[in-house]
Amino acid sequence: MKTSPVDREAFQRMAPGIITAAGFLGDDPRSPERIIEEDAIFFDELGLDFDTVADRLQELAKRGEAGLGEPITVGKLLVQSGDARGMLPCPWEDGFFHKNAVSVSPAEIPLEACVEGEDMLIYSELSIHMLRAHHFCQGRGSPFRLEPSLIKRLLF
Amino acid sequence: MNPILVGPLTVAGVSTVLALIIGVLDKFLNNYGEVEISINAGEKKLEVKGGSPLLGTLAAENIFVPSACGGRGTCGACKCKVISDVGPHLPTETPFMSPQEIESNIHLACQVKVRKSLEIELPRELFSIKKYKSHVEKIRDLTHDIKEVLFSLDEGEIDFVSGQYVQLVVPPYGEIKESVQRAYSMSSKPSDSKHVELLIRLVPGGIATTYVHKNLKEGDAIELVGPFGEFRVHDTPAAMICVAGGSGMAPFKSIFHSLHETNAFPEKEIWYFFGARTSKDMFYLDELRELQAKWPRFHFVAALSEPSPEENWQGDTGLITDVLDKYLQTKVAKTDAGWEGYLCGSPGMINACVNVMKKNSIAENKIYYDKFA
Repeated sequence: MKTSPVDREAFQRMAPGIITAAGFLGDDPRSPERIIEEDAIFFDELGLDFDTVADRLQELAKRGEAGLGEPITVGKLLVQSGDARGMLPCPWEDGFFHKNAVSVSPAEIPLEACVEGEDMLIYSELSIHMLRAHHFCQGRGSPFRLEPSLIKRLLF
Repeated sequence: MNPILVGPLTVAGVSTVLALIIGVLDKFLNNYGEVEISINAGEKKLEVKGGSPLLGTLAAENIFVPSACGGRGTCGACKCKVISDVGPHLPTETPFMSPQEIESNIHLACQVKVRKSLEIELPRELFSIKKYKSHVEKIRDLTHDIKEVLFSLDEGEIDFVSGQYVQLVVPPYGEIKESVQRAYSMSSKPSDSKHVELLIRLVPGGIATTYVHKNLKEGDAIELVGPFGEFRVHDTPAAMICVAGGSGMAPFKSIFHSLHETNAFPEKEIWYFFGARTSKDMFYLDELRELQAKWPRFHFVAALSEPSPEENWQGDTGLITDVLDKYLQTKVAKTDAGWEGYLCGSPGMINACVNVMKKNSIAENKIYYDKFA
């Protein structure tokens, strides 16, 4: 697949130190194109749909806000919605999003025992946008990676 | 020569020549030379080398404008007024600016390149902000996700007011290839000017908090920049209604211990509402109850939002906003001196508390907070 100039520039902005210190690719050796292609296949295999997942993540973030910064039980999940100072541009330059971090984990596992990326999903407004608009889940090793199998296990 | 190599070698050769030409041109065309930055109508004048962003140029001259993103234009903290014409606001600045700020030539210092002599305005308090070298004297776990970290200053003393914050300079680590700075309220007392204590809560995916929780050890050297912030006790007889959750405890710990130590504002009654989810998320309970026992004007209310039955929690339950509302309506004495609100926590918690306080007749201009987002 040929990479468009817009995508090429977006992928360059995903490197550490451009938009965020950590970047969006983690320690994933795959190219961003490859990450997007393979995650689309995983989504398909798991019966997930990008818009539905984005809607669910957005809904949980909203319900987590009721905890006023502390974790709150939402059904079988524990959700914590926290904010940080500022806004982040999308690497595709199609919007600015409040810096925040929402964590979602199974309520039956104590928070201190949860492992990020294994039991706990972490995402932001920007993560939801990139998932919905660009089908980009971020690279493996990125703290904000939306791992399809974990999404399936936790949210559906 | 192998004809297959001719193409790539030609491209490489042309690219090298072009890079050299660009480098030479850049040296001459983008050489801005020495320029002057005049601050506050000449109160301070700096002779600096042009060509770098204003934020870094000022920092090199030991003038530290608050910034939480290291100059990437994502925190919106480094606002300053630029009197000189530096052209229209960049698209990277406008999301952080109100129409009034744009009209008043407020810019993000990290997005303004110093290409010529500039006239700018900065709050005078920034002139007293310093960078401190320190080492970690002690780290204590307060809860599973909050650490109390005590820094000992290697030289000099820090002069601050309870309620102010410092920026922790996190060095590069792991995959993070550059230093980042994050703001944390000081929990130590101003009277202990050789130390700075911070309460740092682990934020999932957070660069600075992950560093503190997973990498930082006692004895490590670390830099702090500060003090910053306007959050402080106001000199009025009004009762203080203070609300915090999690690491929002930090400025209040400093304020209460300092007030108790100095007996400042002796007419003020002090109510402190602290919320957590479960008892294992609660900390300093004994210390604050002890303070309450020996200090009659200090009233401490701890509340849990989701205690389990086996915790046998005897205190208040519910969201801290509900507990606050209940106390303001039934338990906190209404006097002629009135009430004023002091808040530290997430923007969501602050907004919710402001609503409860307004509903209970605390004027919005009497509600104080540092919103870190």
